[in-house]
Amino acid sequence: MSISVEEKSLTGVPVPEVTAKPRKLRHYGTDLAASGEPFLWGLGGALALGILLILGFLTLIFWNGVTTFWPKPIKVVTLTDGSLVAGEPRRDDLYRVGAEVLVTLPEDVRAQIAAKDGYAHRVMYRIGNYDLYNEDFRWVPDFVVEKVETPRDFFFFERQEWGPFIGTIQKVTVNGQETDPAALGFAGITSEQERARERWRQIRKIERSDIGVINHEMEQIRLRLRRIELRQGADSPELHEARLQAEARMAVLQQDYARLAEQAAAIRAEDAKFSITLAEVGGREKEVPLSQIVRFYPANDMGLLQKAGVYFSRWGEFLGDEPREANTEGGILPAIFGTVVMTLLMVVIVAPFGVITALYLREYAKQGRLVSIVRISVNNLAGVPSIVYGVFGVGFFAYTVGGSIDAIFYPERLPSPTFGTGGILWSALTLALLTVPVVIVASEEALAAVPRSMREGSLACGASKWQTIKHVVLPHAMPGIMTGLILAMARGAGEVAPLMLVGVVKLAPELPIDGFFPYVHLERSFMHLGFHIFDVGFQSRNSEAGKPMVFVTTLLLLALIVMMNSSAIYIRNRLKKKFVNAHF
Amino acid sequence: MLKKTLAAALLASVSLGAVAQAASIDPALPDYQPVSGVSGNLKSIGSDSLNNLMALWAEGYSAVYPNVKIEIEGKGSGTAPPALIAGTAQFGPMSRPMKSNEIDDFEKKYGYKPTPIRSAIDALAVFVHKDNPIECLTLQQLDAIFSKTRQGGLDQDITTWGDLGMTGEWASQPISMYGRNSASGTYGYFKEVALFNGDYKDSVKEQPGSSTVIQGIASDKYGIGYSGVGYKTADVRSVPLAAAPGEPCYDATDVNAVSGDYPIARFLYIYVNKNPNEALDPLRGEFIKYVYSKQGQEAVVKDGYFPVSHELANDDLKIFGLK
Repeated sequence: MSISVEEKSLTGVPVPEVTAKPRKLRHYGTDLAASGEPFLWGLGGALALGILLILGFLTLIFWNGVTTFWPKPIKVVTLTDGSLVAGEPRRDDLYRVGAEVLVTLPEDVRAQIAAKDGYAHRVMYRIGNYDLYNEDFRWVPDFVVEKVETPRDFFFFERQEWGPFIGTIQKVTVNGQETDPAALGFAGITSEQERARERWRQIRKIERSDIGVINHEMEQIRLRLRRIELRQGADSPELHEARLQAEARMAVLQQDYARLAEQAAAIRAEDAKFSITLAEVGGREKEVPLSQIVRFYPANDMGLLQKAGVYFSRWGEFLGDEPREANTEGGILPAIFGTVVMTLLMVVIVAPFGVITALYLREYAKQGRLVSIVRISVNNLAGVPSIVYGVFGVGFFAYTVGGSIDAIFYPERLPSPTFGTGGILWSALTLALLTVPVVIVASEEALAAVPRSMREGSLACGASKWQTIKHVVLPHAMPGIMTGLILAMARGAGEVAPLMLVGVVKLAPELPIDGFFPYVHLERSFMHLGFHIFDVGFQSRNSEAGKPMVFVTTLLLLALIVMMNSSAIYIRNRLKKKFVNAHF
Repeated sequence: MLKKTLAAALLASVSLGAVAQAASIDPALPDYQPVSGVSGNLKSIGSDSLNNLMALWAEGYSAVYPNVKIEIEGKGSGTAPPALIAGTAQFGPMSRPMKSNEIDDFEKKYGYKPTPIRSAIDALAVFVHKDNPIECLTLQQLDAIFSKTRQGGLDQDITTWGDLGMTGEWASQPISMYGRNSASGTYGYFKEVALFNGDYKDSVKEQPGSSTVIQGIASDKYGIGYSGVGYKTADVRSVPLAAAPGEPCYDATDVNAVSGDYPIARFLYIYVNKNPNEALDPLRGEFIKYVYSKQGQEAVVKDGYFPVSHELANDDLKIFGLK
């Protein structure tokens, strides 16, 4: 529509006359660049393509992430040579059968393959039972398959160690008595297993929390002695006295320890009476303590509700438990916790720095060459590769600053570093440096957008410059500043490369916040979802088993960032409303 | 030299039966006996081949000592010596022995050498795609595939699968090589033994982790690469190797690795800063005992590597004064 208006005004000729002269019309019609139509199509197309790519990417992650924990059926495959394979089918593909394999095949199979241009179909099964087979997955080509069945008595066991077991239940030992599993039934075995898990959790609680407290105190006593030794000398009377005290206390602690250890041993002895004997598809048996079975289900004999139960119980474990088996199984609670704490810490550090810098640059500094240079430097800082920040972080924060802190405040712990190595504080500081340009630029823009008339109004009423900034300028710039913080947060939560240098580790089961004084341990290394994805995807022993975990963890990281961002947006919108009401 | 050490240290002492399943553990290895009062922080920085194994040991160790916190970082064997020297880590897992200059740097600061424990055995496997029918490779052929200097003595470069005598669709296909990055001990060990200290070709695709090498080969039908045997998946196949042309080929199994028949077997080390004049603190000492216990060596099998014998464990424990 706007184009026709343009035509009119450009030519300055009345419309009917234009239609009367087709030559002129064609002139304007053919000049595509002038009409702008193709450009519009290009823009629209680019937008559509962008949305399509993002949607495709999100769907891929969402679908793979959401379906990972759903229980899959177990197939028992009888091969032509009589052997059996049991497992969950995972993937399949078409492949060209090699000449050396073709030679070994019977005539009719060869003819079948030849009819398909030399290609054959094969399926990969997750066969589990790593301790028996020494492999977790197996490809089975269709031409060696005799038949495929889905027997109802095959169970999928998730074990505390050694990964899954796929097989049948041979016998159950309850309280030292061999019991017929058929008499016990699935419900009976489940309740025995749950009771065994409860014992296992009890043992863990005694060992982790109760003995943990004793061990912590012992460590504190050792450190205090060492501190006194460093300050007063090795033969000082103070040290001698402290040592006597410590020995008395240690003896009490040792007694407590022995008592608790006895308790744990008693439960353990009780627990040893409960076990389950499993048989893999070939008949080999394996006895497993019942408490080592995390979860088990008859994969081919379940209703939808039962499947959903397994599905959600797996999600529960994933979100609320610690990782096991070198991060490939179990949960990722420490990584979620580490990511959130580190990001929040980063925001707390970056917000005041960014806003104060922007305030000075925009409100106080004389706009001249120096300020321009500072501004350009800040903008350039945003373009420095993130790994460079990591190198700076480990060199300056961890080794220089942290090393000095250790030498002054924690000499008794040396040579083990306390702050002198990567930790959550240094990571947050490094990411704060990385994101501070974003906050500065956004805050400056927001401050600049506050109308001059408002400042002048405030000044005219007799307010000082600081009062004006505090009561008029900052509140109005706040939503813009919040936008900058949101951008910084999103960038910080997703950044991994610099963190690998300054404090993210593969395994740090201790959270940075716990029940021991001083409760917040900023010097501790931590786990991070982004690094966890890298670790499980590219470092785990079995990359095939790790793949689904990569999708689930990615889904979770995305969800976490969306959640943190939407809460920030919610706060921003509330601020906006509040200031609109308060002032106008 | 290492081959001899392995053979001497292990063959003489172990009687390994033929095992059809996961590698078996020396029954003489003791169960781990917990002691009281072990707590504190440990940090391990080093090899990524040992990353998962360290994590398994750490899980097991902190299950015994609930208040021991172990952090694990694994970005390559080359990162272990600087961390040990700076004191940022108590354990430096390495998939190759320390180089003399690294030992010198350590000695310069502490006045004594770092002490290694030989925690597990790895057969460095050469992997190809699962559909690749190749039956055997000699070290010399490996050298000609991966190296541009060909110190192994083969006079011709090998660039296609046809150069290795394969026929049909394979004959004309170029070999696509996957390797590790230079911080990795696997990179260094493969260079020393399979490349006869020659240089890698520039066309070798350097990967950041052992698992990435496997994933590369899994998706590349004409790929070949090397990494610890523990990383094997259903999508790749390990190729039997022969030390020289005309010699028999050996699979990457525990028996062949221990006997020294498999030409590129190696120890996986953990380096420790131990002052020879002082006793090792219980925190680290018990960890070493744990590694050499039945439970510790079970973790080795779980991670796909091969366990060490009771005699070797005792030898190393003696060095640390733990026996």
